[in-house]
Order: sequence, then structure tokens, then C-alpha cells
Amino acid sequence: MLKTIIQKELLSNIFSFRFLVTFVLLLVIVTITVFILTDNYVKRLDEYSQRQREIENYLGDYAHFNRINNVVRPSQRPVPFYSLIRGLSSDSNIEEFDNDPLPVIFPLIDFTFIVTILLSLIALLFSYDSISGEKEDGTLKLMLSNRFSRSKIILGKIIGGTLTLLIPFLLSIIIGLLVILLNPRVLWRGADWGAFFLILLGSILYFTFFYCLGVFISSRHHSSSSSIMTSLFVWVLFILIIPNLSPYIASFFAQTPSRIKIDREVAMITDVERDNLGRKLSGEKRLEMHRKYPVLAEKLSDAEIERRVAQDPDYRKAYKELRDAIGKAWDEANRIQGDKAGVLEKELRRKQEAQERLAIWISMISPLSDFTYLATDLSSTGIRSRSHFSRIAEGWWRAFGAYTRKKLASLQEKNPTVDWWNTPVEVSDMPRFQYQQEALKDRFGGTIRFFVVLIIFNLIFFTAAYFSFIKYDVR
Amino acid sequence: MIGTVVRKEIISNLVSYKFFIVILLTSILIFTSFFIMHRDYKQRLSDYHIIKPKPNEPIAVIPPNPLSMFANGLEDAMTRSFEVSRIGIEARAGQASGNIIFSFFPSPDFLYIVRVVLSLVALLFGFDQISREKEQGTLRLMIANSIPRAKILAGKWIGNFLSLSIPFLLVTLLGFALLNFDPDIYFSPGNLMRFVIILAVTLVYIALFLSLGIFISTITKKAAASIVILLFIWALFVFVIPNLGTLLARQMVDVPSVRALSEKKEQIWTREVLMRIMEGREGKETGVSRFQAIHNEIDKLEEDYRNKFNRLIGLSKNINRISPVASFIYAVTEIAGTGIGEEGHFKTDIIRYKNSAFLDIVSGKTEYSPFNYQYRSLSQILAKGTLFDIAWLVFFNIFFFALSYFSFVKYDVR
Repeated sequence: MLKTIIQKELLSNIFSFRFLVTFVLLLVIVTITVFILTDNYVKRLDEYSQRQREIENYLGDYAHFNRINNVVRPSQRPVPFYSLIRGLSSDSNIEEFDNDPLPVIFPLIDFTFIVTILLSLIALLFSYDSISGEKEDGTLKLMLSNRFSRSKIILGKIIGGTLTLLIPFLLSIIIGLLVILLNPRVLWRGADWGAFFLILLGSILYFTFFYCLGVFISSRHHSSSSSIMTSLFVWVLFILIIPNLSPYIASFFAQTPSRIKIDREVAMITDVERDNLGRKLSGEKRLEMHRKYPVLAEKLSDAEIERRVAQDPDYRKAYKELRDAIGKAWDEANRIQGDKAGVLEKELRRKQEAQERLAIWISMISPLSDFTYLATDLSSTGIRSRSHFSRIAEGWWRAFGAYTRKKLASLQEKNPTVDWWNTPVEVSDMPRFQYQQEALKDRFGGTIRFFVVLIIFNLIFFTAAYFSFIKYDVR
Repeated sequence: MIGTVVRKEIISNLVSYKFFIVILLTSILIFTSFFIMHRDYKQRLSDYHIIKPKPNEPIAVIPPNPLSMFANGLEDAMTRSFEVSRIGIEARAGQASGNIIFSFFPSPDFLYIVRVVLSLVALLFGFDQISREKEQGTLRLMIANSIPRAKILAGKWIGNFLSLSIPFLLVTLLGFALLNFDPDIYFSPGNLMRFVIILAVTLVYIALFLSLGIFISTITKKAAASIVILLFIWALFVFVIPNLGTLLARQMVDVPSVRALSEKKEQIWTREVLMRIMEGREGKETGVSRFQAIHNEIDKLEEDYRNKFNRLIGLSKNINRISPVASFIYAVTEIAGTGIGEEGHFKTDIIRYKNSAFLDIVSGKTEYSPFNYQYRSLSQILAKGTLFDIAWLVFFNIFFFALSYFSFVKYDVR
């Protein structure tokens, strides 16, 4: 019984004009997009290795510890998923003078875009007249005069409709995958495939939601021209408005202090105030040492000091102690002011994270955001992977710092008279930054809530469509 | 004669469900957008007062542009703080928020609402003009009168345009008037003028989609078919072509990433600092000339990058113009002073400022002239491509209307 209805839906959809248009459109857009993005990925990969090579060359010739940190900053190797999903991947470049204005004006197109905008629109276009259209044609009456139960009809309609939509979608995805896989430079591993299938599952949930929504709206209206109006109205709200408003609304409720203000305060604390404190503390230490070693209190020229350090072992000892004490005083000043600045920065970060969390929760009302977060997080191009990257980078900086200290100490040991900070050194044994994607299990764990929300949305609108069709006036 | 058709269209629109939904949507969106962007603007204004450079600081920061409430464009990039030092120009995140969610979705400014939602609304007004009347049989009745087809079409166009644009203008102007109640918001006469021009361009844009809607309606026999075609064309124009075009241009022009440029610069700096220290140990005199040499090297690098980048921008602009939506974005953002052209002009100005302040810095002077930025004048903006963009929009309008005229004249009304 159910099969007949599904079959009827499938056939009537497949031979329809909109099916043809959808098919062609999806096929063309998916293929072009994947083609260009894959090419883009390969280019980025080349550029990445070129950049790494340049850094290595540079380190071979000019490595010195004073400013090496500026050169070896870790950068992320492009993940193979770039040929499908761009996400937040593009290096954020707001800190550079020559930033790139184009993506700001035109967000670049990718698989997420195709699913969120095009697929949802297509789902509504197929479903807006599924009830009201049949009523207008008079076929609904005929159908109900058979021994079909209404619940079977609605079930069959939804299943049949989503199945028809799956055909062009999956076919275009398969062609897209072929483009990706035929490129020898793109290597997908097991985890990438796992992520891909999860994303695919997410996109199917996403468009069944829109299909159910369309059927629901259709069963609330008696003419298809008004049901398309309502459908588009709801679509605009869900797709174009709620996600974009969410960060602004979140900033109402979870306010953060201005970043610039905190930056200024931190700069003040760690610069001018630190110098003042350091001078004060080291002055106190100096007086203390002068009391302990009266010889130090004499005013001597630098040359004189150098001579006495060389000749008088007592003086050398006292002088060294003074040096150490002053060094400690400055360290102390640095620590105190650093802690103060740290508190401010931590507070800012905490508030900012709270605001981001709230923005995510608000935007989750819209399935578009759910899918966007889900797809970008699973493909390691989203918010999660950003924090994952900075976690790895932090670990690497620690390792690199330890390496620097060890290396400097061993060099110092060999020859204490050289200023090793500002002398070229050999650093081929330094730890190299290795980027590893987050494990698929963790990525999936972080996106479960988005899946759950999508499933709940599906259930809600399926039930709503079911109940309003049961009570639908078919006359 | 035309008057009757116009009146009939307006009245039938006024009582329709479509009109109700559309006006509701437009009003909600425009008011929310104004409210949110206004709050955002005030936030940035107060941030500006914090980072405003004190006299004698070689820092370039411009106050937020009030027109960015309507077209945000590249405002975030332009209102960063640019500090000139020995190292060159250091850009610091300016008045933009650090919330990462902002980078997922475009900001809901007036430009966005018009570009995406109002174009859709205009299509909805046009999509069933001919095909629905045919389905209902009223087209035949109308043609049976002594009114020529051209006049019917013109009357329909005018009637729908009026019933769409008048409520839209009323809502927008009301929102704009409300903004002016805030004493912190000041629109100079020049900016008011620009706002009016933006509104005019917006009307041309809406009219374009209405014409497109009517055109598709005249080549289809059923309203259901025309909505399908229109929604796909809409998605292509609004989303696919401009975004794909940018990506395509990037494939054709080989531009290194910003990251690559900054790494190169960093390498030059650390190398030169090291060399200077080593030479200093050997007793060689190093001074201003060394800095000058580093700067020349970096300047050359940057210039090369910028040349390539400008080629990329030019190319992607032209590819994107296949879609009139891109032209609309260019025109509105340029007029608002937040467009790509304005940003380029602004950056050139900063580079000029850096070059003038740089010698003072390395020679140890402590007095610098402040940075002043003059937005390009309207005539300059129009001459630099915006006039073309507007003309391009008008051309599309006429083109679609002419097409609908030709196919309507031959339309089978039976």
C-alpha cells in the first residue's frame, strides 16, 4: 500500500520540470565548485610546502635565538577536506596590513553552502505543493476515496519526496567525489571518509527537515500559491536571518569588555608600569646590597668596574650577587605585572567564550547553523579545529622554549663570552611543528548536539505535518 | 488606460496574502537590521574614542563611518588601527568584535537585506503576473478590451513596482528617521546625499528583479514553473555567480597568500637585525641607511604583492559582474565608502603616511603629523566604476523588460 504511494510520488517528481532543473543545477554547481576547490587545495598545499622550505632555508643561514620566534611561527597544513569545505580555514588575516577583502564581500562557495542554501530551497520547492497542490488538482479527493489511511499517505509522500531529492543530490556528490579522488594530490584517509559520511548523514537530516517543514506548511494552506509564500517566508527567517542575527543578539546578553581597551590596559601594565615597578624593586635590592657590601656603593666608571671584577675576587663575588639580585627583582616585576595582565586577559577570554557559546546556542534555532557547525567541525575547518590548533601550537611553543633554553645553556657552557642570543646558530635539531587533525571520535563527540537538534527538528515537523494532514479539509 | 491597469494591480496586491507576508517580513527585517547595526556602530564609536591616537603618535585610525550601518562592507578592515614604526605598518584588530561566530555569517545590514530578501520579494511580485492571470482566465478578458498589450505590461510593471517600493521606502525612511533621534549619530549633508543615492540604486535593483520576474512569467504557461525557474536564477545571481567568480579569479591570477607575504617580511627583518648586530660588533657604522635598505626591500615585496592582488581584484570584479547582484554590491558599498575601491584608496593613503613618517622615526624625531583621511568624493567614486555598475543595473532592467515585452506580445493567452 505504502509502496504504491511512494512509487507514485517518485514517478510524478522525476518527470516533473523542477526535477530536471534541480538535477542539472546541482550537477553543474557541485562539479564546478569541487573542481575549483580541489585545484585551490592543491595550490595551497604547494604554497604551504614552499613556505616551509623557505623557512628551513632561512634557518640554515640566519637562525639566531633573539628573533627566531617570529620566523618559526607554526602554521597549519591544509587539510584534504578543503576540496569540499572551506569553513573558517582561510588564515584569519585581520592582523595583517595587506588583508584580503574579497572573501569579506563575497563569502566563498563550498559544499556547506550548496547544502544549506540550495538544498533547503530545493526541498521546499518540492514540498510546498505536496498537499495543497494535490487539493487544487482535485487528486487528493480521489486518493482519499480509496482505502488508504491518511497516515500512510502522508508517510508515503514524505518518504517518496525525500527519496526523489536524494537522487540528484547523491549523484552530484558522487561526481564531485570522483573529481576529488581522481586528483592524485588529494589523499583521503579512513578518518576523512568517516567524517565525510557523517557530514552526508547531517545533510540528509538537514534536507528531510526542510521537506517535512514544506509538507507541514503545505498542509496548513489550501492553495499552493499561499503555501509557497509562507514557505519562503520561513526559509528566509531560518536561513538568512536567524544565523546572522545570533552573534549580535548574544552580544546583548553576554557583554564583553572592548578588546581594544583591554589590549591598551595590558600594554600599559606590561610596559610602563612594569618598568616603574622593576626600577623600584631593583633600587631597593641595590640599596640592600650596598649595605651588605659597602664596596659596591662607590661610584665607579664602567671601565673601573671591569678592572676590579677582573682583579679582585671579593669584588667579583659581590658584583655578581648584585647582578643576580637585580635580575631577580626584574623577574619579580615581570611576574607581578604579567599576572595582573593575565587576569585581565583571562577575564576577557572567559567573557568572550561565554558570548560565543551563547551565540552558538541561539543560532542553533536555525538548522542552517546546526549544519554549518556540524560540517565545519567534522571536517576540521571550524571552531573546534581552531582551538585544537592553538592547543597543539601551545604545546609546540613549550617544547620549542625548552629546546631554546637547553641549546643556549649548552652553547653558553662551551663559550660564555659570546652573545649567543644574537649569533647565528645551527638549529637543525629543533622540534618541528606537526599538525595532526583532532581524532574523528572527538570531533564527532563535539558535534553530537547538532545532530540531536537536527533530529528533534525533524521529529517535530514530521509530527506537525502528520497531525495537520489528518485534520486536513480535502474538499 | 494605463492608470486603470496600475490601479487594478495595486488594489489586487493590497488585499493579497502575499502582500501581507512581504510587508511584514520587510518591516521586521529593516527595523531589526537598523536597530542592530546602530548598536554595533555605537559600540565601535566608543571603541574609537579609546584608540584614538594622541597627538604625536604615528598611528592611523579613522572613526567609524556612519554609512556602514547600511553597508558594512570592508568597514572592519578599514577601522583597524595602523601603527607606523621602524618595522613598517602594524595593523591591529580595530573596533571589530573577537566573537568568532561573526565570521560564519555575513552581517545583516541594509545591503544584505535588500540584496537577498528584497530581490526575492521582488521576484515573488513578478513571478505570476502573466501566467496566473492566464490560469485564472482573466488575461483573456483583459486582452479582449481595446488596451494594447504593451500598455498592459507597462501597467502591471508600474503597479507592482509602486506597491512594492512605496511600503519599502516608507519603512526605510521611518527607520532612518528613528536613527537620527540618537544624538551620537550625525549624518553630514554629504552622507545624506549618499544615502539618497543608495536608496535610488536600491530601487533600480528591486525593479530589475521585478522585470526579471515578469519576463519569466511571460515565457511560462504555469505559475508553478515560473517560480521554480526564478528561484534558481535568483540563487545563481545572488549566491552562486559572485562567490564562484571570486574563487575562479583566484585560480587564474597567482597571488601568494597574505601569510606567505608576512613570513617573507619577517624573515627579511630578522635577517637584517642579525646582520646589523654582527656588523656592529665588527665596528661598522650602521644607521638610517640600513633601515632604508630594509624598507626598500620590503616595499618592493609588498608592491609586487599589491600589483598582483589588484589584478586579482579587477579580474574577479569583472567576472562577478556577470551577475547584476555583484554590481549592486559594488555600487552600494562604494557609495557608502566601505567598498573595495575605497579600501584600496585608504591603504594607499596609509602607505603614503608611513613613507612620510618613516624617515622621521628612524632619524629619532618625536613629532609626527597626524593622519587625516579624506573619503573619495562622489564624483571620483562614480568615475571609478560605480557609474558603470549603476548603468549595468539599468541595462539589465531595460533588457529584461524588453524581453518580457517581446514575449508577451507573442504570448498565447488561451
